[in-house]
Amino acid sequence: MTRHQSAPTLGALLVAVLVMIAIARAGVSAHHSFAPFDMQAEKTISGTVKQFDWTNPHTWIWVNVPDGHGGVETWGIEGMSPNFLGRRGWTKSSLKAGDKVTMVIRPLRDGSKGGMFVRATLADGKVLLPTGDPTEP
Amino acid sequence: MRGVVPMLALGAALAVGSWPAAQEKTAPEKTAPEKAGPKPPSANDWAAVGKLPDFTGVWEMSFGGGGARGGGGRGAGRGAVPQGPQLTATAAAKRKELQGQVREDNQTANCLPPGMPGIMGQPYPMEFLLTPGLVTIVIEAYTQVRHIYTDGRALPADPDLKFHGTSVGRWEGDTLVAETVGFSPLTEIAANVAHGDKMRIVERFRLTDPDTMTIETTVTDPDVLTAPYTTTRTLKRHRTWTIAEYICEENNRNSVDQNGKAGVNLNQAGPAKKEQ
Repeated sequence: MTRHQSAPTLGALLVAVLVMIAIARAGVSAHHSFAPFDMQAEKTISGTVKQFDWTNPHTWIWVNVPDGHGGVETWGIEGMSPNFLGRRGWTKSSLKAGDKVTMVIRPLRDGSKGGMFVRATLADGKVLLPTGDPTEP
Repeated sequence: MRGVVPMLALGAALAVGSWPAAQEKTAPEKTAPEKAGPKPPSANDWAAVGKLPDFTGVWEMSFGGGGARGGGGRGAGRGAVPQGPQLTATAAAKRKELQGQVREDNQTANCLPPGMPGIMGQPYPMEFLLTPGLVTIVIEAYTQVRHIYTDGRALPADPDLKFHGTSVGRWEGDTLVAETVGFSPLTEIAANVAHGDKMRIVERFRLTDPDTMTIETTVTDPDVLTAPYTTTRTLKRHRTWTIAEYICEENNRNSVDQNGKAGVNLNQAGPAKKEQ
């Protein structure tokens, strides 16, 4: 597993961690549990966005990742909902088909090609995070 | 009344199977008036709403501003998990049994709404609407709605069992006090804690400043809890927000099966979309 180069600032990561702790403390119940995901593990994948589903109850980022044999395999990455992310700076165009992207995920425990979104870095160095303080439009 | 005539005609057309003919022959009939309900609100009733605390608008729980207390009080250290409900021996044994079954998820993974009290703890906003005799809460998560009747009616003695129960409310000064009874067996007090028939929820809503609301929720359930289970949440007002659509079935790839095993569906990218 390789760490990607343009890491988000320490401050941004700290905010993300604090929000997750706060969510747990506030007794927030979410749509589903983390059980299928290995929340202790981080995996980095790099590839090309095939499709970005700006849908409820979760966004899904489909990424074509080179398989090392001249082909690609498609990974499915689950993110927060468009409602949640849309109030935190994301839009349906935050990721577009054809975008080169490096993504950190919590991989699925069963080894299939999917995971939960942690952060993404685009070719221009822009970092997408799933958390943060909500913004007014 | 204008809408009723085409409806009657449509009904007749469906019955006869010939739309234009039926439309010509069916005379508009007088429908029996609906059973007399409460008087429509007067200008004074609306003026009274204007004097209530300014709840109207969109609110979202602010993380870190809440927590549960079931007798543990404020002594819990920073970072501690909120103390959960205090259970009767039977309920505690049941919870242990359920935990032993490694139930990885609950039915919300299949898009079933959580109902009360869980629906009030979602990471999505809620819109409060105040009208004469009624407080309506439009909940973005799972596209849900609650009605708290403040017109003085009593709680039903033998309520139908609902995800959100049946709620009545009253104003105690600046605090809206809502009482709710009659919950679907599909709702839970907390994870792995089923409720009994006598569960009752009292919520106290009040503004602590113009853009901050606290909701203190107390669950009592003599068959399950040995002490009232109280949680307090803090919500922030977002004056420019609107409630967004949330159709859980749109592209739900999470699931839980009958044995409590959680799954993720990676088949085919996108919700019934063409390949890009």
